[in-house]
Amino acid sequence: MSDWRLVLVQARAQLTSVSRNRRAIVLSLVIPVFILVMFNSIWGAGNGTSDLGRAKITAAAYFTGAMIAYALVGTAFVQVALSLITQRESGQLKRYRGTPVPVWTFVMATVLRVAVMVGLVTAILLLIARLAYGVDVSGEALAEIAVYVGLGTATLGSAAIAATTVATDVDTASAALPLVVVLLSFVSSIFVPVDQLPGWLAEVGRIFPIYHVAAGVQTALGIAGDTSLRTGDVAVLVVWALASVLVAARHFRWEPHAQAA
Amino acid sequence: MGADAVDSTRGPTGFVPDGRPAISVRGLHKSYGRRDAVRGISFDVAPGEVFGFLGPNGAGKTTTIEILEGYRARTAGDVRVLGADPGQPTRHWRERIGLVLQECELDPNLTVRETVDLFASFYPSPRPVGETIELVGLDGQSDARIGTLSGGQKRRADVALGIVGDPDLLFLDEPTTGFDPAARRGAWAMIDGLRRLGKTIFLTTHYMDEAQHLADRIAILRAGELVAIGSVTEIGAGLRADAVVRFRLPAGVTVDEIASVAASPVDLAGDVVTIRCADPQRVLYRVTTWAEPAGRRLDGLEVLRPTLEDMFLELTTTEPEHV
Repeated sequence: MSDWRLVLVQARAQLTSVSRNRRAIVLSLVIPVFILVMFNSIWGAGNGTSDLGRAKITAAAYFTGAMIAYALVGTAFVQVALSLITQRESGQLKRYRGTPVPVWTFVMATVLRVAVMVGLVTAILLLIARLAYGVDVSGEALAEIAVYVGLGTATLGSAAIAATTVATDVDTASAALPLVVVLLSFVSSIFVPVDQLPGWLAEVGRIFPIYHVAAGVQTALGIAGDTSLRTGDVAVLVVWALASVLVAARHFRWEPHAQAA
Repeated sequence: MGADAVDSTRGPTGFVPDGRPAISVRGLHKSYGRRDAVRGISFDVAPGEVFGFLGPNGAGKTTTIEILEGYRARTAGDVRVLGADPGQPTRHWRERIGLVLQECELDPNLTVRETVDLFASFYPSPRPVGETIELVGLDGQSDARIGTLSGGQKRRADVALGIVGDPDLLFLDEPTTGFDPAARRGAWAMIDGLRRLGKTIFLTTHYMDEAQHLADRIAILRAGELVAIGSVTEIGAGLRADAVVRFRLPAGVTVDEIASVAASPVDLAGDVVTIRCADPQRVLYRVTTWAEPAGRRLDGLEVLRPTLEDMFLELTTTEPEHV
């Protein structure tokens, strides 16, 4: 039996579990779709544009990019971190480790689960943007979006694993993580267009990965045909990913804190 | 297939081919910082044996079992589990070991069958999933989500995951905690069934009747040291473990009078007289020959043999004798 079959079996179990988890569905899908619809209803009517520096794009395209980034944070960061902390503190990770299943297959299965969820949520958001708000999604834009979403998923997923090393219990994590996300979303121009933020706040936002995922997707949607990736965005995402992997590799634990003897 | 598969390294009955012990522990020592949790214990568990590992909370039971399970590094000593060092757990070794951990939750969103299916896929020759679920008595809850099960049912799901890989050696860490009496009897029958399959079982429990019923031999741990090891009879023989003669105090008689008649220490609780003695026949003779001619009634007269619980309490609450 190939170990890749183990990856698929575990990924299927994880997806089954997530599909029955209301918290995950609200976080990954319901909230981003709801905000996308609300923003477009409030600000989308006029032909307002946002200045991204390189291009002016429509408000609808701006919010689509922003909500794809926001959904990514909910799916690849908050949901991954909360599920890992829950599994760790309830002893599920420890139990897993006591089976012969190779650790890498568990990690790959988790990656696969998150990739499927992110792909699904991104497709749904793009479809709504295209059908309801007339956002032009060309094939070239799709390819570029795939790169930013893929890279963003890797970065935020690694950051999620790094975050589990800080949080010691589920209650604290489920209070702290959404708070961090809302704060970062404001400074990262997710809720308020970047040209309307005070300059210093926009600069703070540029430190964090969320802004760069949103900016990448927005550029792809706004400048159809310009396939040159913005190296600045990619570089920030890669740095965050590497730093997160380092923290995770050094400090990740399998056993619940309550049992530490 | 499945349960009956045989290959060169693995017999169908759980015996290690060359007859070595399933578990061998020599001078096992574990310290956490300056605290010694386990202080040089040694014991063997034979293949096919049900070995009860007892001790009060904090005696080092969990530390020891986690070292044997490959979760924890030891400070010193030699440990072999199924012939291998559990400090270097390999995949092949893990395939032969089943675990039922003390505190373990499962994914509440998956059903019993989905969970057992998932774990079965981790092992090269698992037991049939439906049969395993039936064996732990969850066949009525196969399609129920784990999150909707009662505490005892969840524990049985843990046991199903421990045995679905068809292990040669099974660790059961307090398997029936939280069970109602009927569920405990059911679990005992199940463990007896595993014993008949030739599995080696390493069992910890807080219930002395459970150890007495299930274990071929027991070891009692106290403050990181073994204070007794052997069958229940062997351990009982090595102890004072007095029998007890008990009856209601007859009217108009003092406790001191009974103490002098019985020539043994006497306790009075309410109107119940308790006489501890090594030789209950002699005490009975003395007391009845004193009471009968005088027409005194010894209401509720009974003789109680020491239970494993009495031995356990004696071994774990008295001061250890250092030799």
